[in-house]
Amino acid sequence: MSDKHEPAPMVNEVSDFEVLEMAVRELAIEKGLFSAEDHRRWTEYVHTLGPLPAARLVAKAWLDPAYKKLAVTDGVKASLQVGVDWINSPPTGFGTPSDYCALRVLEDTPKLKHVVVCTLCSCYPRPILGQSPEWYRTPNYRRRLVRWPRQVLAEFGLQLDPDVEIRVADSNQKTRYIVLPVRPAGTEGWTEDQLTAIVTRDCLIGVAVPKPGVTANAKRPVRPAVHPVHHSH
Amino acid sequence: MKDKDKGSETGRQGTDTTPVPLLEAISSRGRVWEDLAEQYGVTNPDPPWKITLDATCDLLAAGSCVLPVLERRAEEDDLSATNYADIPFPERQLLALAHSLIRRGLLDEDELARRMEEVNRRLNS
Repeated sequence: MSDKHEPAPMVNEVSDFEVLEMAVRELAIEKGLFSAEDHRRWTEYVHTLGPLPAARLVAKAWLDPAYKKLAVTDGVKASLQVGVDWINSPPTGFGTPSDYCALRVLEDTPKLKHVVVCTLCSCYPRPILGQSPEWYRTPNYRRRLVRWPRQVLAEFGLQLDPDVEIRVADSNQKTRYIVLPVRPAGTEGWTEDQLTAIVTRDCLIGVAVPKPGVTANAKRPVRPAVHPVHHSH
Repeated sequence: MKDKDKGSETGRQGTDTTPVPLLEAISSRGRVWEDLAEQYGVTNPDPPWKITLDATCDLLAAGSCVLPVLERRAEEDDLSATNYADIPFPERQLLALAHSLIRRGLLDEDELARRMEEVNRRLNS
């Protein structure tokens, strides 16, 4: 029996892009555009972020009506119970577009589906949901979702009955959103951990709904719109 | 939309999309993460520099605000539809950022090229 452990695969070459990123950053620091210390602290902070706190907020809300009420009325306060402090955690305080934000939790009902976008850029609730996916940032999603939400959701595989109202929440610099989906059938008696596992990032953005057995986001190929919408900022 | 009056080109949202030779060269020869990851069997969907790039973007919009978010993103949208349309994300975001910084005079193209050579020597030594 061999006890040899294979090292994890790693990329063993330096790409031009890796070099470019470093060169841009070093020059920006030397020119005083920002400090190395601020960059280090911000990078370390972003490394701690991911979608689990938001998923757990939803799971807790499903299990506890009082917490659900808190989440819907005061998302910032409810976030504290899943370890996210919108006011004090971001290291830059009131200085960047990505620091203090008002989080609002949007509660779906069987007749009301919320979905989140940022039409102007790609504002996203990073402190509780981590980094945004590529498709969320594209003009294809941003411009078309607000105009044809039912059709765009269908492109994500989410077919909604005609009597379900769709409400699109457009994020901005200081207000970010997550969706509190309807708890699916087949989850009776589940623990908080089990419920958390089926609340994927795409459910929290609103382009998917939680399903027992589905714990990963679907692959979303990114492509330009066949009929693009153009507008000026 | 192109405005050839002074040899410059303009994107739909007014971005100066005049090609930057250094970045054009990187676009054509640079190896993107999705190819590198596949070749080396790495499953991480993002390159290791993705978060440091995001931090750079955030901080450029902080404090003295040399590159506000909405302007940077509008330019990134334009450049993603034009100059860097064939480059995947996040390499596209990085190229767009460098392009914006050069065209705004915040970084000099030659200086960036020299720094890249120095970084390359450092990383490959």
